[in-house]
Amino acid sequence: MEDKCDKLDTCDNCPRRSWLFRMLVGMNLATVASLLYPVLRFLKPRRSTSSGAFQVVAPLRVNQLRPDEEGNWPAPFEFAGKPCILVRTLDGEVKAFNAVCTHTDCTVKFRPQEGDIYCSCHGGVYDINGRNVAGPPPRPLESFKVNLRGKPGQEEIIVSRA
Amino acid sequence: MSHAPEESAVSPARTEGIQKFFHERLGLEVLAGLAAKKLVPIHRSTHFYFLGGMALFLFIVQIISGVLLSLYYKPSPDQAFESVQAFMTEVDFGWLIRSVHSWAANLLIGILFLHLLTAYMMRAYHRPRELTWVSGILLLLLFMAFGFSGYLLPWNQLAFFATRVGTALVGVVPVVGPDLLLLARGGENVTGDTLSRFYALHVAILPLLTLGMLGFHLFMVQQHGMSIPERDLRRYGGRQQIPTMPFVPDFLLRDAVGWYLALGLLAALAALFPWELGEKADPFGSAPEGIKPEWYFLFMFQALKQLPGHILGMEGEMLGTLFFGGVGLVVLVVPFLDRGPRSRHVLNILATAAVLFFIVMTAWGYFDKNSLRLILGASLSLGSLALTIPFTNRGTRSRSVLWLLGTLAFCLLMVGLLWELTL
Amino acid sequence: MKALASIIFGITLFHSAVFAAAPDENDAVVPVAEAAVPERLEEDYSCMFCHGKNGTLAGPEKNRHLIVSEEDLKTDIHWRKGLRCHECHGGNPKLDDFVDHRNDPSFRSLTSPQDVPGFCGHCHSNTKYMRRYRPSPRVDQETEYWTSGHGQLLQEKPTAKVATCVSCHGGHDTRAVGDLESRVYPTRVAKTCAVCHADAELMAGRNYHDRPLGHQQFELWSKSVHAQAMMKKGDLSAATCNDCHGNHGAVPPDVDSVANACGTCHVKVAELFATTKMKHSFEKIDLPGCATCHGNHEIRSPTDKMLGMIDGALCARCHEEGEHGATLAGAEIARQMHDGLADLVTQISTVEEKLDKAERLGMEIRGPRFRLRDANDALTNARTLVHTFAIEPVQEAVTEGLTVTTEVDADAEAVLKEYTNRRVWLGLSLVPIFAVVALLVLYIRSTPISKS
Repeated sequence: MEDKCDKLDTCDNCPRRSWLFRMLVGMNLATVASLLYPVLRFLKPRRSTSSGAFQVVAPLRVNQLRPDEEGNWPAPFEFAGKPCILVRTLDGEVKAFNAVCTHTDCTVKFRPQEGDIYCSCHGGVYDINGRNVAGPPPRPLESFKVNLRGKPGQEEIIVSRA
Repeated sequence: MSHAPEESAVSPARTEGIQKFFHERLGLEVLAGLAAKKLVPIHRSTHFYFLGGMALFLFIVQIISGVLLSLYYKPSPDQAFESVQAFMTEVDFGWLIRSVHSWAANLLIGILFLHLLTAYMMRAYHRPRELTWVSGILLLLLFMAFGFSGYLLPWNQLAFFATRVGTALVGVVPVVGPDLLLLARGGENVTGDTLSRFYALHVAILPLLTLGMLGFHLFMVQQHGMSIPERDLRRYGGRQQIPTMPFVPDFLLRDAVGWYLALGLLAALAALFPWELGEKADPFGSAPEGIKPEWYFLFMFQALKQLPGHILGMEGEMLGTLFFGGVGLVVLVVPFLDRGPRSRHVLNILATAAVLFFIVMTAWGYFDKNSLRLILGASLSLGSLALTIPFTNRGTRSRSVLWLLGTLAFCLLMVGLLWELTL
Repeated sequence: MKALASIIFGITLFHSAVFAAAPDENDAVVPVAEAAVPERLEEDYSCMFCHGKNGTLAGPEKNRHLIVSEEDLKTDIHWRKGLRCHECHGGNPKLDDFVDHRNDPSFRSLTSPQDVPGFCGHCHSNTKYMRRYRPSPRVDQETEYWTSGHGQLLQEKPTAKVATCVSCHGGHDTRAVGDLESRVYPTRVAKTCAVCHADAELMAGRNYHDRPLGHQQFELWSKSVHAQAMMKKGDLSAATCNDCHGNHGAVPPDVDSVANACGTCHVKVAELFATTKMKHSFEKIDLPGCATCHGNHEIRSPTDKMLGMIDGALCARCHEEGEHGATLAGAEIARQMHDGLADLVTQISTVEEKLDKAERLGMEIRGPRFRLRDANDALTNARTLVHTFAIEPVQEAVTEGLTVTTEVDADAEAVLKEYTNRRVWLGLSLVPIFAVVALLVLYIRSTPISKS
């Protein structure tokens, strides 16, 4: 080590330490950046908030609630870990139910032709209010509260636990 | 660290202008003067000074990560677990922030224990630093309270039942116990109110107390300068003769090494043992098997478990709790008990016993397997003696005995672990 | 039975005899909640003068069947609807002096149990009358009763000890069917039937179509999945005695009608079974539908072990030895169905374990878990399709389930891998951190301590 290197802040004459110092500053900046990056990402609002949530915006709008070409009603979507089924009464009212059949936990489906909710596992039938009307189901379906928001005819459907 | 070379690369006039602006308005000269004057003695135990800095660094990590977590956390029994689950899964890097917060808490307590131990061995509490010691002990208690209250917040099964057991201990204190229990739990049982209470404690009450106490602790350190072990004082022949380095930048640079090591340890722990979420607490279910408090309460938990129901006509648990309370009190007033070589000798024996007790009980409580308990208990106990190596003189008999014990501990640990792994 | 033998004038309330013999009867009748003073009768209404609890007839044991307590009447649906004694029994209640009302032409006497159905049917079979109480009344109970096992026995042997209307509904304490304390409320039906049908002494030697009746039905039913559903879970729609046997027309279902009885609730299974070859094979050898495998009264929750050829599986009963024309090809189908279901069950639980683990570790698995529901649906569906007794539909459902489990398994693996990746990346962050430490140490070493 040279004598010239004895003072901390004059590094011009000491190439080794100058190199070290630059490396250090660079590495420190990199570290700070790598610490800041997760923090900034953490601050970004999250995409969805449905786990354990009391409310969710259905992935369907009111005008999408109709059978497809093959006559199948839109499939249930997830709400708080359970499938949620949306149905539409004759006068256009939207209702939401927990689609887990009360008999053996199969997923029920809406039959727009019959106007009922049907479980194909054991043939359980619920009416449009979720009441068990035929077959083995012992209890009505759990119903959720539905709110509509937006332009009439294509409102967003907000399902929440009552 | 000095940024002089960088600054000279920019415009010197402008930086000077900025410096002048702040100096004039903030009175930075005073601080600069203080920093320039602050000296750190150089001797064989200088490394132990880094522990305080590391603890401070981890505390800052805790503040930052804690504030970040509070952005998503919801302190209610319906949503606490779900919100923790949600920010671990839905929020970018949520898992990392939580893991860091949990591990930094444990690391902080561990480093504080070492800080306490080394401060004791350096006799850093002697006149006029008694209050520094007392505030340090109080800080340790505060951080343990941080740990205890924070443990419940995710509202998972283990935390819930550990909190039930932990708060029940308060109830056995004579006379005021039942009232204290009500105060701690916010009711007869651990409920949503307990959660709110612990949340308030964790994010408002404790931080305020800690900041105040920490300020006092640092002020005392600043006021009296660094404590120097007597042995080194004797060797150099007085405080004036001992070599020193300036705090800025030399010691700070060395401190930074400590910080980076803590950071590395944190990352390593979070990578090796990521903090799990567990299962949601079921207050009406039965207690799951193997409920354990955080490791730094484990020695107490384990010891109290061993006590018989009644000792000398008193409830065993009550006696045990009073005993630990008494020990805490003794630790708090150590500076006032150390009144000469004889009392110091007694204190040393007690301290060794306490450390051994802590290690053995923790190992016993932590490991299910008897062999692991033995190996780790024994090797860590012996290993902790190696901490006293810097305080013995080179070439003396005690130094060589310590080396021998340290080596033995290391070998025991290695052989035991290998044996454990191969089986 | 003493009480029955002691009927002197034949004015009898048959039920009092039957229920006097039943030890449980007193337990079953819960005291009336509103135990206020019974409603006073009009002064010139004279029945209670003799027949009341403290009437002139009260006292001797032989008169017991002639005494009516006012407490009972207060719970009686007829009484509550405003009907009074003479409206069922006839006669003139307003006579001043004692006249033997049995001589009144309008008095309707009950001289034998055989009279009871007609006595009740007087009103209950009268559509016009019953419409006063219900717009579309049921009036076929009496007709049905005469077709029942009870009714047929009574017709053959007028003195037979057999249930009539009052045995189940009560005499002067007949509650509405929907009344929680009615003996025929769904949760109480089984116990009411058991009063006689669990009485070994009473049932001894009794046959239906040459098969002994036995007395263990109640005990067996109590262990069944239906009893569990009704008694433990309070599911009133679960099957109890009358759901399979009928109530007024109670008879054991015939061999060919068992499947229809079960099919009233188990619609889909019954539909599937109706078209199978198995049904015809069963019919040929006089085996009932569902009950051959699932039993009759003690119907337990079905398990996958019942299917296949091993571990006491039911299919093996016939298919192992080729009994009743069962084929080995059928055995093979049974085996394949069982293995298919077992495979899917294993796959589902494996994937579930992985998901549980990932969840405990704090990973996002709601999507995969949601999709796994489809596999469970497919499993339930496959179990239902077993009743087609054909391999293709079952295999199709199983395959559908397995497709889902394979996908979800891949997702679960990916999640667990992601977890490992995080740890690796975090571990890698140690490299720059220790590089800084090393650089710092080097820098410190290359710099002499500054003079203060």
